[in-house]
Amino acid sequence: MIDAFLLVGLPYLALAVCVIGVIWRWKTQAFSWSSLSSQFLEARQLRWGSTPWHLGILVVLLGHGLAFAFPRVWESLMSHPTLLVIAETVGLGAGAMALAGLVVLAFRRLASGRVQAVTSTMDLVVLALLFFQVLLGVLTALLYRWGASWSTTTVVPYFWSLVLLQPDSSLVADLPPVVKAHLVGAWLILLAVPFSRLVHVLALPLSYLWRAPQIVIWSSPRRAAKMVREQRVQESRREFLKGAAGVAVAGSLLSLGVLEKLARFFQGPKLAGEMETVLLTKRLHRIRMTAEEQALQLERQKSTRILIGRLSELSSSKGKYFIDFNMAPALAFLDANGLPLLISAKCTHLGCTVGSEVNAQGQILCPCHISYFTITTGEPNVGAPAKTPLPHLEWVVVDASGKDLAHRGSSGAIQGSLQGVPPEACSVYVARPTEEAS
Amino acid sequence: MSLYSAIKRAKDYAAERFPIEKLNFHSMVEKKEVPVHRLSWGYYLGGAALFFLLVQIVTGLMLLFYYQPTVSDAHASVEYISDYVVGGALVRNMHSWSSSMMIACVIAHLLTAFAMKAFEKPREITWLTGVGLLFLTFGFGFTGYLLPWNQIAVNATKIGLQSIEQVGQYLPGQMAQWPRAIRETIQGEAAVGQATLSRFYAIHVIVLPFALAALLGLHLFSVQLHGMSRGVEDPPRRQEKFFPMFLIKDLSVWGVAFFLLFLMALCLPFESFSPYPLFEAFDPNGSTPDGIKPEWYFYFVYYPLELLPFGVILVGSGLAMLMLLLTPWLFRSTSRKTLRILALVGAAYFLGMTLFGEDIYHIFKGGGQ
Repeated sequence: MIDAFLLVGLPYLALAVCVIGVIWRWKTQAFSWSSLSSQFLEARQLRWGSTPWHLGILVVLLGHGLAFAFPRVWESLMSHPTLLVIAETVGLGAGAMALAGLVVLAFRRLASGRVQAVTSTMDLVVLALLFFQVLLGVLTALLYRWGASWSTTTVVPYFWSLVLLQPDSSLVADLPPVVKAHLVGAWLILLAVPFSRLVHVLALPLSYLWRAPQIVIWSSPRRAAKMVREQRVQESRREFLKGAAGVAVAGSLLSLGVLEKLARFFQGPKLAGEMETVLLTKRLHRIRMTAEEQALQLERQKSTRILIGRLSELSSSKGKYFIDFNMAPALAFLDANGLPLLISAKCTHLGCTVGSEVNAQGQILCPCHISYFTITTGEPNVGAPAKTPLPHLEWVVVDASGKDLAHRGSSGAIQGSLQGVPPEACSVYVARPTEEAS
Repeated sequence: MSLYSAIKRAKDYAAERFPIEKLNFHSMVEKKEVPVHRLSWGYYLGGAALFFLLVQIVTGLMLLFYYQPTVSDAHASVEYISDYVVGGALVRNMHSWSSSMMIACVIAHLLTAFAMKAFEKPREITWLTGVGLLFLTFGFGFTGYLLPWNQIAVNATKIGLQSIEQVGQYLPGQMAQWPRAIRETIQGEAAVGQATLSRFYAIHVIVLPFALAALLGLHLFSVQLHGMSRGVEDPPRRQEKFFPMFLIKDLSVWGVAFFLLFLMALCLPFESFSPYPLFEAFDPNGSTPDGIKPEWYFYFVYYPLELLPFGVILVGSGLAMLMLLLTPWLFRSTSRKTLRILALVGAAYFLGMTLFGEDIYHIFKGGGQ
């Protein structure tokens, strides 16, 4: 019965009184819409009380408000253990801060004669209400851990049941007395709003955020002038400090970022095993290619003839690349007479490698500066950048038994013939250039 | 002329170029003033080139930690830098873009210094060291181009070196063989290979930087010693203090330059202007791919080389180099107006060949694609 009153009747009563009371106060005593600052009576303790109290209670109220306004979002957020711990820690910290602030404020109100002179009974009631309310909240957080999570299935639905005019006090009926007291405290505070300094909660002075700070002082010309002077010095100091801090923070963030990147550059990449394999494979491939190159070089030093391939592999339209005795690229074609035709592929202009495709005129192209060379003579086309012909190379054709069938000497004369041996059985070799006779 | 008078003349010459009384902080920094006139922007170009040089040194040292100068590993190590090292692609892009920007600044600096007659007595040494620095910068470009050991690098280097050999046909008798010997000395073996890579690496990383440091020291020292050249015919109405006013402006230019460079390096890989296969690893057994070209800053000799007989280019570039070296004496009494026109012609030639070289080539050779 008492539950039904405290958890259903009281809320509606408080809300009705609050709404009507606030309208009444706005209509009749608009100028009392204030928390009646006592800063000019006592400023130092106020600073240490008011600031933590307001900061703390704003954070706490924000948490409560979010949970009530967006229950689904809040619930899904709180199912995340990390976020739950963060919410609890921040909430408890802010609550403790608010409580500490309230203690300072209460002490000030009870200890300072000047402040007492302007203290009304309602101020003390509000102070007591707030103190117990925050104390109960902190106790709840300490004794019944993870309220941010369990409230989503108890207090939040209870709150919404009130909003939707289907009050259901059973949702919170089984909660511990401390929590219930906290709920009742909330409704009592709501009830007190229109009749106390708490109305200032309903003012939203956004312009305070960017207006210059104001200090309420006793007005005497000398003192006012002094305050203005001090204020100005403090202002400029504050501006300078703000600027310096901004530059310092930006600078240190920037250098932190740069240093981090630099450190990681020199640290080198940390590769996954798979990536490492790819890289090593690639490297090994390159090293093999280099080794092959050097093997070719050695072979050219040692032997007098080097295998190019089977005669049947050669074609008259597309050359086969090989490396000649000067370690320069060369091309092997099939000549009209069925014998091989070996020609250097190192352009006589600037040493590019000539292409292997033979065009309709029987020419191959150097792509660098567009010189066409006729393969049968090696001569470049008229007007080409290359002036001298590509030299033909000496070759030997050998049959399967290793017998020389035909060869081309340094003079260009061809001796011997295939003697009917099929091209599949003939191997073509490039021969080491015989010492120039001339 | 007696020996004594010869020595005295040499002493006087040196004394005028290196005035002892000015060798102090006060006259070299505190008193130095920079003329303000409509060509004043030219005074920032040398500083900008210096800034890009500093970027080159820092990024170059960073690349040095990963680069491997061997035929088998060079290309792979460059790929490793771009693909795996944290920030490696950025550092490499900065190094390549900054090299281009440095050369652009150096050339602009050369032209404006010429137009402003900054080589006038007693600044001959400044000019000569500047010309030396220009050659060193091109040397950096040429040697650095080979280091990634990709198709375009190796093939372009081959062509560049081969053109030394072309000189042989114009030399009489035994001398005809000398260019070939020179080329093989530079490349270290009969063909461009490991020896060439090692040599270019050594030149790029050790030899040129030391040479550059020496010349640049003398160059900057002379600039501070003699102050900024006047730059215009009429005495400028206004001067500004070098320290701190001009220095701060100079540093702001550096800031803008860094911003631009960083943005470019971040957004544009250096390779993005050339077709893909040119940046594959060099393949000694394949044919030379299409589109082998030197870097843009060599276009001004490359396209004429393609168009004209080699002898003409040889004589032309020889004369141009001689002219550059003798500028302080050749143009001693030329008016700044004439020099400005000459510099504009030079700039027009360089820009024309760099931007439209390929089109000009196709106009004369036909077969534009």
